[in-house]
Amino acid sequence: MSRASMNDQEKVFIRRRLEAVAGLVAVGFLLLTIRAVDLHWLQADELQAMADKQRYRQFETAAPRGPILDVNGRSLAESIEVPSIAAIGREVPDADIAKLAEALGINKKSLTKRLKRSQGFVWLARQVNPATAEKVMALNIEGVRQETEWRRYHPLGPEIGHLLGFVGIDGHGLEGVERNFNNTLAGAPGIRLVQRDARGRSLPGGIWLKDPAMGKTVRLSLDSSIQSIAYAALADGIRQQNAKGGSVVVMRPKDGAIVAMANWPGFNPNSFGDHKPGEWRNRVITDVFEPGSTLKPFAIAAALESGKWKPDSRVFCENGKYQVGSHTIHDDHQEQWLDLTGLISRSSNIGIAKVALDIGSERLYNMLTEVGFERRSGIGLSGESPGIIPPIGRWGAVETANIAFGQGIAVTPLQLATAFCVLANGGNYVAPKLLADEASHASHRVMPEKTARIIASMLETATGPDGTGSKAVPAGYRVAGKTGTAQKPSADGSYADDKFTAVFAGMAPAENPELVVVVVIDEPQKSIYGGQVAAPVFRNIVATALPYLGVSPTETETPEWQVLTTSLSDNDRLVSRHSLVRLSLREARKVASVRGFRLRSHGTGWVSHQEPRSLDSVATGEVVEVWLNE
Amino acid sequence: MISRRLSTTLILGSVALLAASQVWLSHMRYELSLETSRIQKEQSELNREIHQLNLELASLTRPERLRKIAQTELGMAPPHPMQVVRP
Repeated sequence: MSRASMNDQEKVFIRRRLEAVAGLVAVGFLLLTIRAVDLHWLQADELQAMADKQRYRQFETAAPRGPILDVNGRSLAESIEVPSIAAIGREVPDADIAKLAEALGINKKSLTKRLKRSQGFVWLARQVNPATAEKVMALNIEGVRQETEWRRYHPLGPEIGHLLGFVGIDGHGLEGVERNFNNTLAGAPGIRLVQRDARGRSLPGGIWLKDPAMGKTVRLSLDSSIQSIAYAALADGIRQQNAKGGSVVVMRPKDGAIVAMANWPGFNPNSFGDHKPGEWRNRVITDVFEPGSTLKPFAIAAALESGKWKPDSRVFCENGKYQVGSHTIHDDHQEQWLDLTGLISRSSNIGIAKVALDIGSERLYNMLTEVGFERRSGIGLSGESPGIIPPIGRWGAVETANIAFGQGIAVTPLQLATAFCVLANGGNYVAPKLLADEASHASHRVMPEKTARIIASMLETATGPDGTGSKAVPAGYRVAGKTGTAQKPSADGSYADDKFTAVFAGMAPAENPELVVVVVIDEPQKSIYGGQVAAPVFRNIVATALPYLGVSPTETETPEWQVLTTSLSDNDRLVSRHSLVRLSLREARKVASVRGFRLRSHGTGWVSHQEPRSLDSVATGEVVEVWLNE
Repeated sequence: MISRRLSTTLILGSVALLAASQVWLSHMRYELSLETSRIQKEQSELNREIHQLNLELASLTRPERLRKIAQTELGMAPPHPMQVVRP
């Protein structure tokens, strides 16, 4: 009985225990279920986001800027990838800082400061050379990593620095073309999503959320060869004159394309930090100067337009001294009677002043504004100055007379070039353009073609042997242009006695202008005259640029040539030959030049064969081909 | 009876085959993704090289440098007027 009741009691006890355990398990399951629901349902979004954050990483990849090319496709600015060293501040062990500083070549103190300033991401050295980056990465310091950035290079350096401007370290154009065409040039950064394993290494097969897109190309109308020619000629002229600075702009009058635009002193955009901000300025468009006599052709144009004056109308030039109101006008050379052509070639201030006073201020003002003065040309560069013309209401007799010979008015070199393009274009105004693929701006007529031609031929006499601009003429070509000399205004508004601007503006070749060139030399020391200072620079540019453009000279009787022909004339035996065989290339060239045919040679040594076989039937200008053998 | 054993074998066989090909496929996928990333890296290397060579070309053919070489090393001079012929 007792044994049976014991058994019963035990059974109950065991059952209770089982029930208790089962209950606990059930509660456990319930809790797990609640937790599972909590995790999978209630907190799901948040947790999923956290997990993704750990597993996936988004990288932003910078896209390179597009290149800037010249008209022939030569690279003027190019971006390349360079390494940069960065670190996560809190991860870099203190013990390694000295080692790191040495590898980076920077002061330990400043490195420590930089690392402690921010616990997170910090740049240590940006855009370093690959060897330094390799050295740093070889140290294998925790928290230090290598990133790649794009760096902008301008291979032509200072020659074209002012025009191109530069790009800041974050790849943003800050000056010049780089700044004004930043939207085109800048690439769109890409975003890449990469999965990472437990150790944070990237797993293969990331996806691009957004592809990086390289910036677009900007092709300028500029020709880097002519740019280089212009820069070298300008530098040369300034060195000879010990001048303060200068600018050159070369334009193609037919479509207004800017072919070259250079300033001295040069500015190297690859190391823009070494230059003062004032030296970044592209003075061809930002700085104004008094154009002096280079403005006279436009006063003459206004006079011809008025119908009151003819090219052969004559003016009495008062023997070099003339009173307008309270103001006395002087001429450098005392002149008496001159026709309009004479006014240009002798550059008489008095004559021009009298002409301007006769036609009145309004006609002069209209002519000046129509050829592009007092307004921005709109080539797309910022900082362009519109120049200064006093309001027409304030033009009295003195102002009208002064402005006619380029005083009391300020223009930019680009404006002056644009205005001369009107004369070169037969009276059509074409706005200047900087981009090669930009359609030419619509041209409009500013003066009748006949007037423009007359002025151009007057300008040709100004560069003749008796003109002020005779030094502007290169051997073999005819040019038309005008010299100018102007006193610089000083800080108090009066004219400085010893500071001048020497200018030459002209077109070449005169008969069918391919180029319009404006040369401005700031504060020349040895001579102050445009004809002495700026004209030779013009000549040097044109003498090299025209052959480069394939423009044949028209004037054949040059002194050097005569020397060569006379030295040949006593060499009749050579010149009267029927064949060039067994001659040297040099001798063959002499024969060709005297007999007037063109020579095309192959190989080196002596002529072994020629085509055609006999020279007797070869006419002037025909080609003779020769093959040479050692 | 035999047909039942045969079908079991067939089913097991195809399951094994499918499983094996799944493994092989995922291996292939891994290999290919490695290959892709290698080629992509190579492509970006080449792109970088193109940029670099462009730059090198531009700086070696700088007109100013060519002029200096032509004049000092090659003894060349600007042409006389009569030596210029429009092509």
